[in-house]
Amino acid sequence: MSEAALSTKTIDAPVLEIDPYSLEVLRDPYPFHERLREAGPAAFIERYGVYAVGRHAEAAIVLNDHARFTACGGIGIQDIRKPGDFRIPNRLLENDPPGHTAIRATLTKYLSPIVIRRWREHFETEAKGLVEELVAKGEFDGVEDVAEAFVLKVFPAAVGVKLPRKEILAIGEMRFNQSGPPNELYHRAMERAKPYLEWFENSVRREGVTPGSIAEMLFDAEDRGEFEEGIASNMVRSFVGGGTDSTITGIGHTLNKLAQNPDQWALVKADPNKVRAAFEEAIRLESPFQVTYRTTTGQAELSGVQLRPDTKVGVFLGAANRDPRKWQEPDRFDVTRDTTGIHLGFGTGAHICIGQMIARLEAEAILRALVTRIDRLEPAGLPRYRPINQMRTLDHLPLRARLG
Amino acid sequence: MPKVTFINPDESRIELDIPVGTSLMRAATAHGIDGIVGDCGGGLTCATCHVLVEDGYLDKMPAVQANEDQMLDFTAMGRSPCSRLSCQLVVTEDMDGLTVRIADPQL
Ligand code: HEM
Repeated sequence: MSEAALSTKTIDAPVLEIDPYSLEVLRDPYPFHERLREAGPAAFIERYGVYAVGRHAEAAIVLNDHARFTACGGIGIQDIRKPGDFRIPNRLLENDPPGHTAIRATLTKYLSPIVIRRWREHFETEAKGLVEELVAKGEFDGVEDVAEAFVLKVFPAAVGVKLPRKEILAIGEMRFNQSGPPNELYHRAMERAKPYLEWFENSVRREGVTPGSIAEMLFDAEDRGEFEEGIASNMVRSFVGGGTDSTITGIGHTLNKLAQNPDQWALVKADPNKVRAAFEEAIRLESPFQVTYRTTTGQAELSGVQLRPDTKVGVFLGAANRDPRKWQEPDRFDVTRDTTGIHLGFGTGAHICIGQMIARLEAEAILRALVTRIDRLEPAGLPRYRPINQMRTLDHLPLRARLG
Repeated sequence: MPKVTFINPDESRIELDIPVGTSLMRAATAHGIDGIVGDCGGGLTCATCHVLVEDGYLDKMPAVQANEDQMLDFTAMGRSPCSRLSCQLVVTEDMDGLTVRIADPQL
């Protein structure tokens, strides 16, 4: 056969028998990621009847091509258009252009970078206050006392929703397990969230949001016909879901990596502007959203692999972010690496994270306050991860702050 | 390599040879051109890599896509007919000789 004929030949996706949602994989996803990348540009996960993509190049192709890979089937493993899935669809994310474009344009008006930048001073003041409390404590938990405390203090107030800790954590855990298969984690999280569901429904209604806030502006916009009916509440729901756990997690991972890598801490201490790069690198290395799905619209070819129509394709962002085809020494935490806009931790294409500048502002505020106030950050015990179907998240992160 | 000239807010000029396939934003930030901030790395969420494309080159630029169009309305300087976000201007051979003025302010 001639070389040209060979290069146009396509193959079926190699089959992987692994369960990406087993506790073993969720606790340490990296061996699975390697198998996935090495299997080929796409693999077939037998157990769930879905495709999986773990290489950076193909992950970007899938997320950028909504004509062949639609988001309308939902970003979880189950097709939300088919019976059996009880999630409330996200009308921005689980949607394609042009419908998506119109909603995103209106949302951008109320959540523009100009609006977000006005929050900086307030976030910085809050961060300094919190860091003084941490210094007084000496030892603290990087998740509960730093990331959660800070994000839950500034983010809900900035957008105008009320998010008490216990409720929001239970709801978040439910949402990000619900986007996975109906395994034990899924059922347990649904059970735990039950007492808070009513509270959650009320808090994303007009009556539940803060008067004068961005959230209320979205309801006003809907009244003026800028959004179709139901979108404002759906968007508030989407901020709460998309913006809370992810940012808490991202800040947690950054603290963990800085504490584990004193050489990288030293770089950031010497130039506190590098806290931004540190956050970005932590998002690459321990991507809060590990996976998001698209669905093939028809028979599709992906780098020589044939994909069947109407089938889910899991884009493993965490795997793409450690793809050695893209990154040198991918497993190393390196704050000097050029990552912003290159890693896929915030997605890419039409649905690229609309809240990323909010997440960066929050992370920068708290990390800068910490780095400028203390001299060293040390582990004070082993970090513990919390298995969640869609997320890579820390449960406990014992830390110690050193002065002088 | 195509040559692209950036005009700084103080009217000084910087000429860069930019490899085909690289965006103006990446080339500018890699060369320490401070006027191009590029906070989000090309994700169309920060609008801080705003440039004004000089006469004669606007039609050689790639078409404005929906996300860029939305973000151009939220540049700190405000939008003009020749406004573009330089993260979306990926250099082609055709762009050789292009001159862009760096918008001020970006933040
Ligand atoms: C470190 C923090 C964050 C991470 C890692 C993250 C990650 C992501 C990712 C990967 C996507 C794309 C999903 C896909 O294409 O399937 C996305 C979309 C989205 N994010 Fe974030 N996010 C973060 C913070 C936030 C914040 C603070 C908000 C608050 C407004 C937010 C709101 C959204 C929304 C509304 C979308 C859907 C955008 C669209 O469909 O056009 N996110 N995020």
